[in-house]
Amino acid sequence: MNFDLSDEQQVLGGLAQQIFGDLSTIERITELQTRDGFDATLWSELAKAGLLGLCVAEEHGGLAMHMVELSLVLEQQGRYIAQVPLWSSSIAAMTVAEFASQELQNQVLPGVCAGTTILSTALANFGANDSMNPSVEAIDVIETKEGGIRLIGSKPAVPYAQHAHYVVVSAKRANGSIVLALVDTDARGVTITPVEGSDRQPQANMEIDVVVPTSHVISGLTSDGREALRWMHEHSLVALCAIQLGVAQGSIAITAEHVKTRHQFGKPLSAQQAVAVRAADAYITTEAMRVTTLNAAWQLAEGFDARQDVLVAMYWATEGGHSVVLAGQHLHGGVGADISYPVHRFFLWGIQISTQLGGASQHLARLGKLIASK
Amino acid sequence: MSMQIGDSPADAVFRDQARSFLSQHASPRSEVVANWHDDLGGHVEACKKWQHILYDNGWAGISWPEQFGGRGGTSLQASIFAEEQSKFDVATGSFAVSLGMVGPTLMAHGTPQQHAEFLSPMLRGDHVWCQLFSEPNAGSDLANIGTRAVLDGDTWVVNGQKVWTSFGQFSDYGILLARTEPESPKHKGITYFILDMKSVGVEVRPLVQITGVAHFNEVFLSDVRIPAVNVLGGVNNGWAVANTTLTSERAFIGGGGSSWTVEALVATAQKLGRTQDPIVRQKLAAAYARAQTIVYLGYRLRTASSLGLMPGPEMFIMKLAYARHWEQTMDTAMEVLGADAMLWGDNVIDSGEWQHHLLSQFAIRLGGGTNEIQQNIIGERGLGLPREPSVDRNLPWRELVKG
Repeated sequence: MNFDLSDEQQVLGGLAQQIFGDLSTIERITELQTRDGFDATLWSELAKAGLLGLCVAEEHGGLAMHMVELSLVLEQQGRYIAQVPLWSSSIAAMTVAEFASQELQNQVLPGVCAGTTILSTALANFGANDSMNPSVEAIDVIETKEGGIRLIGSKPAVPYAQHAHYVVVSAKRANGSIVLALVDTDARGVTITPVEGSDRQPQANMEIDVVVPTSHVISGLTSDGREALRWMHEHSLVALCAIQLGVAQGSIAITAEHVKTRHQFGKPLSAQQAVAVRAADAYITTEAMRVTTLNAAWQLAEGFDARQDVLVAMYWATEGGHSVVLAGQHLHGGVGADISYPVHRFFLWGIQISTQLGGASQHLARLGKLIASK
Repeated sequence: MSMQIGDSPADAVFRDQARSFLSQHASPRSEVVANWHDDLGGHVEACKKWQHILYDNGWAGISWPEQFGGRGGTSLQASIFAEEQSKFDVATGSFAVSLGMVGPTLMAHGTPQQHAEFLSPMLRGDHVWCQLFSEPNAGSDLANIGTRAVLDGDTWVVNGQKVWTSFGQFSDYGILLARTEPESPKHKGITYFILDMKSVGVEVRPLVQITGVAHFNEVFLSDVRIPAVNVLGGVNNGWAVANTTLTSERAFIGGGGSSWTVEALVATAQKLGRTQDPIVRQKLAAAYARAQTIVYLGYRLRTASSLGLMPGPEMFIMKLAYARHWEQTMDTAMEVLGADAMLWGDNVIDSGEWQHHLLSQFAIRLGGGTNEIQQNIIGERGLGLPREPSVDRNLPWRELVKG
């Protein structure tokens, strides 16, 4: 039993904290809001530090690490609300590495590690937003010699799609089987429409009517790609948990500072028990998020069946994360309403993650089926 | 050392040994524990019998040093054993104070003579111990105790009243906090005593609780004489010694040793055909998610303790998380039981255990520092919020306004 980080993992977390802390300053984030929000400078620094290929094999230029290490880096990103497509690009790259052909890996992954190729994932769907039930339709092309799979449909709120070179798109055949394909965003038949998201980060809706060549089908070409989709979905959820953990910590840190230094009735706000207790509860929730996220990341990295672990972590990240950023916003009083003060950024990203790939009740419903159905 | 959630190969060997010992001497527990609340005296006897078996077979005091009669193992092994033991139908509750709280305190603060006199019989299960800390006017503000001890030659003479004393009516010894220097500020003038409960002037009155059991007692102390050699950790040093005890208590309460599990509630829900209801399922899922959090917090604590580190705020969080989990899950249990939830006693489903646990929640929420006290501590230690301004820290206790 050793449920703590190794020395190497602590060093990695420290490195990430330094990079995000130095570059993703409040001034920088404010400045990015005047453009579309993507921090390209930070992105190239992350590439130089090797953090864009963290979980990619060394042969492609990566560091060959696993989900725990990625979580530590994402946590620091959340802590500094840094505006880069790290989770979506990393999970897409890991999915390619896990399931795609060697040729496709050779074609895509070196650029990902170098920071010149940006990937994204299109997991969310219009309607019930059930990642395991994609709204894009997949049709096998049999009339041409080259073959391929035609994808028709649309995907909402694809993270940083307007900056991505490829997007991993999930789709469903009429017979219910799943296809995961790497879609070139420059391809004819792909329309990217930027939308404004609640977290103020770049995202775009995708309209897709495109034939994906067989070489770009990651999983499900001749069989059902459901397990690959489940793999990508679970890793994506834990990535979001890790960011949310950082977001919650960032919110609490700035809030603790505020209630210690802001005086009313001749004493700090934190001297009021009602204030101190609410802050303490936010801290407790954050620790619950930390242990459940770390556990889920470890279970995934070890290749264990982590379905329940992921849902437990996601329940805390959605329900718990939401309550933490809400407490942070609330305890700032009127100060929090001023957008030149940064606390609202934690709130905005926190509530976005709380619904991004399904809300708390959706995760609980899944978990309930797993543990109690008979 | 890299992360390893779950047993290392060496841990797994130890777990197998523990399981094999347990299955030779006890029967596996059914889904819901046998209820013992009607016969507390019988429960105490069962605890003694089981502790003797542990002692005779070298499984008592797993993490206690060999010099004190323990197994000399690690705290991790102690947790593994407790985890396995909880799957068997054995009684351990009445030694929670002695083995979980007094033992560690005695080892840390006791004299060689005290070690020799008390630790072995404690480990063997010969003696039941109780805690004489809280008073009618000193609960959360424990340092405000008013029970007085005055030195008379080489004997202390004690007068006062204690309350919420678990197993007091069955106890051979008690750990007692009494005020020995009223002129000092409240934290400074307290002494920690070992009290022979058979002493003249000790009167124990059981308190029947909402559960129908008299687990707690009031203890009245009238001119009780305690030999000066039974001071633990030095005269007027009682607050520091008491903190060792309270730390152990929180770790014990938060550490589970739980008499119920979410799995057992799920089984009951399935038995009653309630798991078709998605709302019930979601509540069971939330209970499962909370239980997992407590498991992982426990893993963090075990890791810290196996590395010889002081546990962080996890300990306070765990105690609080456990109390809230208990409260919320028993609400869910009542929903699962439906109309049966209105019934009480041995003849209802699962022998009335869920109703009993519903009513027992207050002991968990209030004991070892209330939920609100834990929240205050978490604010101070986890977030660095300033301590609440306290007007009475430096005044002589004698001058304080008493409740």
